[in-house]
Amino acid sequence: MPETRRNTRQSHISLAKQILNVALERGMKPGDHLPEQAFSEVCGVSRTPIRSAFKLMEEKSILHWRQEEGYFLSVAAGGQAAKALRDLEEAEDSLAHRILSDRAERRIDEVQSVSALARRYGASRNAVLLALKILSQDGIVAQLPGRAWAFQPMIDSPKSIDESFDFRLTMEPQAILAPGFSLDIKRAGLLRTQAEEFLNADEERITHGGFRRIDNEFHVLIAQCSANRFVRGGLLVHHRLRKASRRGSSTPNFRLRQAMAEHLEILDSLERNQFDLAADQMVVHLRRSRIRRPEAANRGIPPLLRGPRA
Amino acid sequence: MTRKPTIALFPEAGFGAGLNCVGIAQKLREQGANPVFICHPGFTGVFAEYGFKEYHLPQSLRASDEATEDYWQSFITTHLPHFKLNPIEQLETYVAPTWEAIVDTAISVEDDLEALLDRIKPDAILLDNVIMFPAVAKAGCPWVRIVSCAETELPDPKVPPYLSGLAPEAAKKCATFKKAYEKATRAAHKRYNEFRKKRGLPQLASGIFLEPSPNLNLLLAPSAIRYDREQQLADDSFVFLEGCVRQETHFEMPDFPATNGPLIYTSFGSLGAIDTDLIRRMIDVFATIPARFIVNAGGFEESYEHIPDNVHLGSWFPQPSVVADTALFIHHGGNNSFCEALFFGVPSLVMPYCWDGHDNAQRAEAKGVGRRVDRAGWSAKTLRAEIVALLEDGEMRTRLKETSKMMQANSGTDRAAREVLRALSEARCGETGTG
Repeated sequence: MPETRRNTRQSHISLAKQILNVALERGMKPGDHLPEQAFSEVCGVSRTPIRSAFKLMEEKSILHWRQEEGYFLSVAAGGQAAKALRDLEEAEDSLAHRILSDRAERRIDEVQSVSALARRYGASRNAVLLALKILSQDGIVAQLPGRAWAFQPMIDSPKSIDESFDFRLTMEPQAILAPGFSLDIKRAGLLRTQAEEFLNADEERITHGGFRRIDNEFHVLIAQCSANRFVRGGLLVHHRLRKASRRGSSTPNFRLRQAMAEHLEILDSLERNQFDLAADQMVVHLRRSRIRRPEAANRGIPPLLRGPRA
Repeated sequence: MTRKPTIALFPEAGFGAGLNCVGIAQKLREQGANPVFICHPGFTGVFAEYGFKEYHLPQSLRASDEATEDYWQSFITTHLPHFKLNPIEQLETYVAPTWEAIVDTAISVEDDLEALLDRIKPDAILLDNVIMFPAVAKAGCPWVRIVSCAETELPDPKVPPYLSGLAPEAAKKCATFKKAYEKATRAAHKRYNEFRKKRGLPQLASGIFLEPSPNLNLLLAPSAIRYDREQQLADDSFVFLEGCVRQETHFEMPDFPATNGPLIYTSFGSLGAIDTDLIRRMIDVFATIPARFIVNAGGFEESYEHIPDNVHLGSWFPQPSVVADTALFIHHGGNNSFCEALFFGVPSLVMPYCWDGHDNAQRAEAKGVGRRVDRAGWSAKTLRAEIVALLEDGEMRTRLKETSKMMQANSGTDRAAREVLRALSEARCGETGTG
């Protein structure tokens, strides 16, 4: 039971983050009303979880509630919103999130003991074990013989990013081409709305966080709609690792918009059942995304290509 | 309908010049031109990500990844120790071989560049480099020189020699350096002049590899750090920009588990990132300071472990967006970095290792907009003291606030684009005789 309650809360936190991102992408300001129905449609869930997420956001002073009127935004874009998102992220998987974040930042070593983590985070052994189990479900850590836990390679180095693109270039077109691919039209429609909103947003409202969220949902959708179970399973595990590994990015806004437009083109082809075309478009999309930035260059010295862009 | 003028930007194969040109290209596009980029092999995609069309010099110019990796290993082994030398000691060890490599590049790309320009048929060319490419001079259209190094790149009796790191007042040392510089670069210069002769360009004076453009020359140096000149540069063909800071993507602040202190950004450019031992030592010092540090590790992020809780390491940052949020910028004196610090009113702690970084380090200290720390001469105690002193220097901050206000009110990128289009228009009027 406690695990079920925890999972429910996790999904509310995750939904709350999505709601806040959508509100900010739509340019909502403090005092603007958040209609339940509209958010239910854009997030692709019923009104009940939306209401729970709103309530959670009220607890965290992100929204305020008015009798017979509903929920209203309390935070402004920029610093306030960033802090609110951080608060939600901290609440999300709290300890597991902190452990993962510290590993991604290279603050903790690849191999860890429960007691060392308990000391670092001032947490009980049981809390640390629970956090490690959550991370192990996503394949991020694995228990070694004995008491140690080892982090699996994350997608955080030029070589691993390169390998990730190689894997995706093989698997994602295959996910589409495997006989029986069936697009979830409702989710594709929601993604389309979000992608279009992203494309139409003013320059200053474009955020990498917003891009990453939609991008991840898009690629997860492609995997989930594949009829090949092994391709699907492999890709879903990989996308979870990508999501866990991704940190701040510096891709220029032009490329973010271009990538989002490529998502829409792929969805267009999938909706028309043009799977060969969609698979080719996926290859182009991934190849463009992996273009490698030279890592060092100076007068008279050839650029060194160490790895692709994240 | 009037055709949009095509402006070909040809930056050298480095991020400083490349991203400086992105800033100008963004404004050229806004002002109705069609900016395109000529890329060295290996820079594929860098400009396309900002939405610009790229034309590539042939891939054959690029060695295999393996050969380039070997070259880099050899470069690091050879030159890393040289970065700790003073400017005059670097002349024979680093500057001379670098000029040889630059001349090699200019010679090797010439035919392909000529063919590419013939294909693009630009209305004007913007050259952001330290050497002239005859194909540019002979392309049959106006060309603009962008001086994205320190102002010292344009010599004058009252300006200290390029790459010397000297003050204008140190006349004797300046004379000694100039002589040593000409001696060190003599072989490369002789070879380059022979190449120019073959390609029908006039010979250049000793130590000079790039002539001013007859049309327009753009200098990044903001007024806060300019030198007095004995020979004034002509106002109509030499334009000083107040920096040249591009529009960058929004920077998302990382989480720091440890502290909420002031934010300090450290970047030594893509080349400076090779000195991982130095950066590791600095990170150890950062761990003892109640501030948050963002450190650009370039392509060497994997060389670091045990990152302290107040440090965030990354391989690439949208630098102008980061600098805008910082209280202090620790850098190598690269001209873009220095100008960005001034543009956002941020003090500089300059730790130069080569080229015009020495000149900017001297200038930062002389003009009271930063301090210089010798790369090889600091201890944990002295570095910490320098950082704390800069964070607490209210007078410097006030001075920088004024500089920033002035620079932001006079957008360098905007002015550069306007001047380029003006020069193009004047050149056309000259051709048709209607001007």
